[in-house]
Amino acid sequence: MSGKDKKVWTPKELIEFENQIAELFNSAKIKAPVHLYYGNEEKIIEVFREVQDDDWVMCSWRSHYQCLLKGVSPEKLREEIIAGRSIYLCFPEQRIISSAIVGGIIPIALGVAMGIKRSGGKNRVHCFIGDMTSETGIAHECIKYATNHKLPIRFIIEDNEKSVCTDTREAWGQEKLTYEDGKHPLVVYYKYQTKYPHAGAGVRVQF
Amino acid sequence: MRMKYFDELSRAMEMLAKDERTYFIGQAVACAGTAMTNTVKNVPREKLLELPVAEEMQMGMSIGLALVGHIPVSFYPRWNFLLLAVNQLVNHLDKMSIISNGGFRPKVIIRTGIGSERPLHPQFQHIGDYTEAFRLMCPNIEIIRLEEPEDIFPAYQKALGREDGKSTIVVEYGDYYNEK
Repeated sequence: MSGKDKKVWTPKELIEFENQIAELFNSAKIKAPVHLYYGNEEKIIEVFREVQDDDWVMCSWRSHYQCLLKGVSPEKLREEIIAGRSIYLCFPEQRIISSAIVGGIIPIALGVAMGIKRSGGKNRVHCFIGDMTSETGIAHECIKYATNHKLPIRFIIEDNEKSVCTDTREAWGQEKLTYEDGKHPLVVYYKYQTKYPHAGAGVRVQF
Repeated sequence: MRMKYFDELSRAMEMLAKDERTYFIGQAVACAGTAMTNTVKNVPREKLLELPVAEEMQMGMSIGLALVGHIPVSFYPRWNFLLLAVNQLVNHLDKMSIISNGGFRPKVIIRTGIGSERPLHPQFQHIGDYTEAFRLMCPNIEIIRLEEPEDIFPAYQKALGREDGKSTIVVEYGDYYNEK
């Protein structure tokens, strides 16, 4: 789906999609990790108001909402998740790439942006990262490089205050994240609280 | 007359440069600094993308450039330096086709080397040859070691022209610049 055919998702519909995935996971229908979103629906919908069809969306292991909002059909997405690929969803047609490695997607996103700029393209890259990832060395290098070389990319930091179960601020010994003041020109920052654990849906599943 | 190792490397770089999709990226591609630099002296300046020292960033950028149709020739003068890019190499470039159901097949050419030991020995953080280890870690990337001058041009021709979705690591020997 793209352009005029693309579905417009509401927060309620996004939550319902994840609820269905949670049910599938809890009933042992998905034999691989799933990473579910909750609590950021309005914010991510707002972020996607600036995402065009020919833009690239680069994600981590939690990317169901991005896929839906970029135009992947819920049926196709569900199929991929059931097949075990929730952790690194990639959809070439919608220009979505994900990586299950912390920070792994960031320099790839940077290269895509560099390629777009060198080819004279007008599209952009939107790179989604979490709060702990935003403090890594690779994030700092890439945000610096993208800023100084004026690359067509922005970094969306989604802060749920933790990495798996580790409190990001406490672990780093800092009260505020580097980019949380929202002043960096290439960074969009928002905070949210999720009801789901890092992986799974909060129920012990016996496979 | 038999071609020399260095001359063949230079000829291969010029061949790559003629393809409009290629970029040469890394530290000391546009600036002086390594033995490899001299082999790209005849490559047009606009093809040379000088990067800061940021090995993982460089490898990720190479993948990204390849995803949008460019063919990066990514320079890591020694295996020991390439070790700093292993996450992007093993977890991403080698796995990209698998994790995308064959949808993304970035073609990257990685140029690395085994440090020279003669006449100066650079000591043991600069002479590693990890070819066999990386063959085990990267089943979807071909690694070609350049033993003789006549191996060089065909190796880069293959790396550039291949349509099998694989990337290539081309490994040269620093000592052979003077010896072969």
